[in-house]
Amino acid sequence: MSEGIGEFRESQPLTLGVELELQLLSRRDYDLTRGATDLMQALEYDERFGEIKLEVTESMIEVSTLPQVTVAGIAADLAGLRDTLVTHCRRNNIGLCGGGTHAFHRWPERRICPGERFDAIYQRYGYLAKQFTVFGQHIHVGVTSADEAIWLTQALGEYVPAFIALSAASPFVDGVDTLFQSARLNAVSAFPLSGQCPPLADWHDFLDHFRLLQDCGIAKSIKDLYWDVRPKPEFGTVEIRVCDTPLSVGRATALAALAQSLCRYLLRERPGFDAEGLRHVARYNKFQACRYGRDAQLSEPGLRRQRPLRERIDELMILLDDDAVALGCSDWLHQLADDSLPGDAEWLRETWERVGNINDVVCAASARWMGKGDES
Amino acid sequence: METLITYARGVWESTQERLFFLPPFPDQIDTLALFGLLLVVGLLAGEWLRARFGVPKIVGYVLAGTLFGPSLLSWISVEALTQARPIADASLGLLLMEAGRRLDLRWLLGNPSLLRATAADVLLSFVAIFFFAWALVGLSPGWAAATAAVTMASAPAVVLLTVEESSAQGQVTERVILHTAIATAVSFVLFALVLGFVHAELSADWINAVAHPLWVAAGAALIAWGTARLTLVVAARLPKRSLAQVFVLVAMALLAVGVARMLAVPVFLTLFVMGALLAFDDRRQTLAYTQLPEAHWLLAIILFVIVGASLPWQEFTWLTALQALGLLLVRAAAKSAAAFIGGRDLPRTKRLWVGLGIQPLSATAVFMAYEIAALYPEVGRSALLLPLLAAAIMEIAGPVLCRLALVRAGETAGDGEKKGGIA
Repeated sequence: MSEGIGEFRESQPLTLGVELELQLLSRRDYDLTRGATDLMQALEYDERFGEIKLEVTESMIEVSTLPQVTVAGIAADLAGLRDTLVTHCRRNNIGLCGGGTHAFHRWPERRICPGERFDAIYQRYGYLAKQFTVFGQHIHVGVTSADEAIWLTQALGEYVPAFIALSAASPFVDGVDTLFQSARLNAVSAFPLSGQCPPLADWHDFLDHFRLLQDCGIAKSIKDLYWDVRPKPEFGTVEIRVCDTPLSVGRATALAALAQSLCRYLLRERPGFDAEGLRHVARYNKFQACRYGRDAQLSEPGLRRQRPLRERIDELMILLDDDAVALGCSDWLHQLADDSLPGDAEWLRETWERVGNINDVVCAASARWMGKGDES
Repeated sequence: METLITYARGVWESTQERLFFLPPFPDQIDTLALFGLLLVVGLLAGEWLRARFGVPKIVGYVLAGTLFGPSLLSWISVEALTQARPIADASLGLLLMEAGRRLDLRWLLGNPSLLRATAADVLLSFVAIFFFAWALVGLSPGWAAATAAVTMASAPAVVLLTVEESSAQGQVTERVILHTAIATAVSFVLFALVLGFVHAELSADWINAVAHPLWVAAGAALIAWGTARLTLVVAARLPKRSLAQVFVLVAMALLAVGVARMLAVPVFLTLFVMGALLAFDDRRQTLAYTQLPEAHWLLAIILFVIVGASLPWQEFTWLTALQALGLLLVRAAAKSAAAFIGGRDLPRTKRLWVGLGIQPLSATAVFMAYEIAALYPEVGRSALLLPLLAAAIMEIAGPVLCRLALVRAGETAGDGEKKGGIA
């Protein structure tokens, strides 16, 4: 076993876990505020819905559900975590918000959370650590073996643009409309080990690759791999890391439903994929999805052509229908498939058009995340 | 200094016989020149102390005022102080308006523990100071109540400027600001009532005991309501967070200061109420994101130089100093106990830092004391020497304590991250 990577812990197939990074806001002007350690120090919570943790800067907080067999379980945990945090944030006059980026914060004002791990990240990456104040959703899907994890990690690569487009919720950066649907991933791509996983045959191959990175001084632990999809040995899962944190728990749950249904389909059908060909177009396709969302044009190297992502998503939803029914999550998948409803990035732009002020956009997004009863 | 001026006058007047275009010898320094001098002197002292000893800049401004004021070098005369009063009123008014805007009742009502802590702060502080001044110092009940009303609240100007200078963010910072805003609001209500008590104690005519508090309270409320409404109506026609909105906010605050001065209604009370109404009435968040311009530090420097020069150090006696220290100790105990026992949703150490952060006592107290003392100057000045000396001590210690609390709570920015202040 390679040092820095533990034993791959097998888990029940297709179990789900969701992590969400959330924004902590001042309720006076809806800018990001320093609040994470204060919240954690005064938190009275028995972890019945999962964990609440610090993230790299003081304006972020991370929640992670318990491992769940069903999407309904994930929905219940996420709602419980949200309600717990909302109650606690209200007591401390802090706003809570989803979305992949904060619309207008200034990154130099961010403060690194206390702790050795965060300090090490700051020392290693410098200002990138503060610019990493972006907010993502990570979805874990359980697999039965290490080899299966590597296969699934590779197979999911083709669907990264779909996850990006369906979760996109970060059109604004520095108070400006970036024209991107998801600008968050531009902050992630500055890190040296971000991007897609290289073509790997099995777990042994992965360990060889990781040892190479270690020997060359590039990576120490698996946490240094900021891949779009990566195996997570200590959980026995494959982790999809490209989604923006959505603006509501409902959409976060729907994305988990997509991940579970897709993994069931892939593991059941074991379709072939062209890892080498995908390698040439992955960055371009990811850019297309970030920039245009569902309107992206994806390159298909095998057929040497472009194809609208919208078509591929429509096909995918039909393809996954039986699996979603079998898993009991088809309602959530249908919500995600409904093209008539605005995505989160569109909702943020429409709100901007309506209210005409970027602070009010964040205020509205925060009210949406915190749920009814919040008048702000 | 006198000799120098007399000599200069002689030379000037002899020259004037031949150079007939010369104006009469200027007996008084021009207001703008005075403004400039106070600004430079305060700025240099503040920057030097900050760089040399790491203390908040406000301390430097106050020390500059004290050094050059009537108590020591007399370079700033009593007349110059009177001349600069409108600038001090404008500065204190702007800061009090900001304090009023921070009166966050939504948070207070949503957090019972915080409500308990702030209620305990105002109650314990008033009662403790009143009993100290009445039972131990021997002031009459009226003047003891006046002393308590003047000194019970934390200093909004010091707290806001220290928070801004340190770029502090977090629960201790937010709670120190809220405690300060609530205690200021209550102290202003008590201030109005105390005006009545003082009249009742010293005047045979009861009508002033009733009419004066009413004039002050109703006057401040009406001016504040009118200007706040007007501000919101005008600001609603402008883009949110625009420079134009900032100008409207400052202009309307100056209008309120001016009207309050015309009608002899306390400026600090009027502007605080105006700020609170701006926050409560602003349902569409028209001005919620509009902040005071950085230039308000210019006025703040002048304010604290003037406050430093106004402190009655020449009336210092060891007995009064001991009494002032006693008052500050009693006040510190009351405030710390309130923050510690009340705010139980916060970890213990953070409650201690809140208790320390709300200790400042400053410009508002000095202005309130002079306002009350001016009613019956023959007795008022000596009767209110205790709170004035307490404020004088805390002018130096208060900003340091407040900053210490924010630093120890881990809520201030690192050196590379600061954006508050002027340097």
